[in-house]
Amino acid sequence: MKRDQKITRLAKKLVELSKDNGVVTEAKVGEVLAGLKQVQHRHHLTVLKTFLNYLRREIALQTAVVSTPGALSGAALKAIETTYSKMYDRPITAVTKEDTSLIAGVRVRVGDDVYDASVAGRLQRLAENVS
Amino acid sequence: MKATFITLLLVLSLPLGLVAAGDAHAALDAVLAPGEEAASAEGNKLTMITEKFGVTVPTLIAQMINFCLVAFVLYKFAVKPIAATLDERQQKIADGLQYAEEMKAQLAEAERERAEKIKQAAIDAQKILTESREQSKEMIEQKTQEAAAQAEAIIRKASEATELERQKMLSDVRQEVARLVVATSSKVLSRDLSDAEKQTFSDSAAKELASAGN
Repeated sequence: MKRDQKITRLAKKLVELSKDNGVVTEAKVGEVLAGLKQVQHRHHLTVLKTFLNYLRREIALQTAVVSTPGALSGAALKAIETTYSKMYDRPITAVTKEDTSLIAGVRVRVGDDVYDASVAGRLQRLAENVS
Repeated sequence: MKATFITLLLVLSLPLGLVAAGDAHAALDAVLAPGEEAASAEGNKLTMITEKFGVTVPTLIAQMINFCLVAFVLYKFAVKPIAATLDERQQKIADGLQYAEEMKAQLAEAERERAEKIKQAAIDAQKILTESREQSKEMIEQKTQEAAAQAEAIIRKASEATELERQKMLSDVRQEVARLVVATSSKVLSRDLSDAEKQTFSDSAAKELASAGN
């Protein structure tokens, strides 16, 4: 238990070291991995796995996954990035993902938060209200 | 009883005395007949009588002793056992009568007790019967009330179940209708909306989200 806590703290510190101006960058992550390789921690594999989990979580928090059935204009994506960066007070990058089940509109997911403005979502809410 | 037998002995001895007196009277007549005038005139008549009658003291004493012996023997071997037997039988009879009286009294007492017990039993039976009737009446009323309550509860539960079933059915129908509407709308919109319309709607939705976030 004590070992896990130590590894968790170490992984969180590594994630912080992987940020450049609050954003996780590939270059910083490479530097951290190189450092880990040099240090050769006693629980190297466990540290790497924990670091990967926290890194994924951090990237998810910094990424707005915009699901849409078709193409989306760059202005719309830029507006989404600006809005959610301001809302969460951290730099957020928008990434598009095609989802034809939405029919039309967009659905944005930032971390565990989901914002839906799709036709399918509206129809689903309508059905829930009716029933 | 003893007195009776003594009297009987005296009665039996009386004829013997009479016979002896008769014999003595006959002897006196035979003696007085030759010289009646000279004897009556002179001498001691008593002495003469005793001599003439042949009454002598030893004979008299012997007769008395004989009489006493006979009387004793009779009393000892006849009168006494008979008297004892009679006394015993009389005692038995008296005991029997007394026993019969006691039995009669006991029978009367038993009869009285029996009658009293029968009367008490009849009263108790009447009381038990009355209590049983009251209890049965109360039980019938209680059971009737319980049955009514149970029937009411069953009706209420059935009504509630029916209402729940109706609500569930309505909910199912609404859900099904909504699902069908959503499915139909989705198919229609997917088929009828062009790519340009979808992109326009998506841009509009993205701006809507952006403006909502601000």
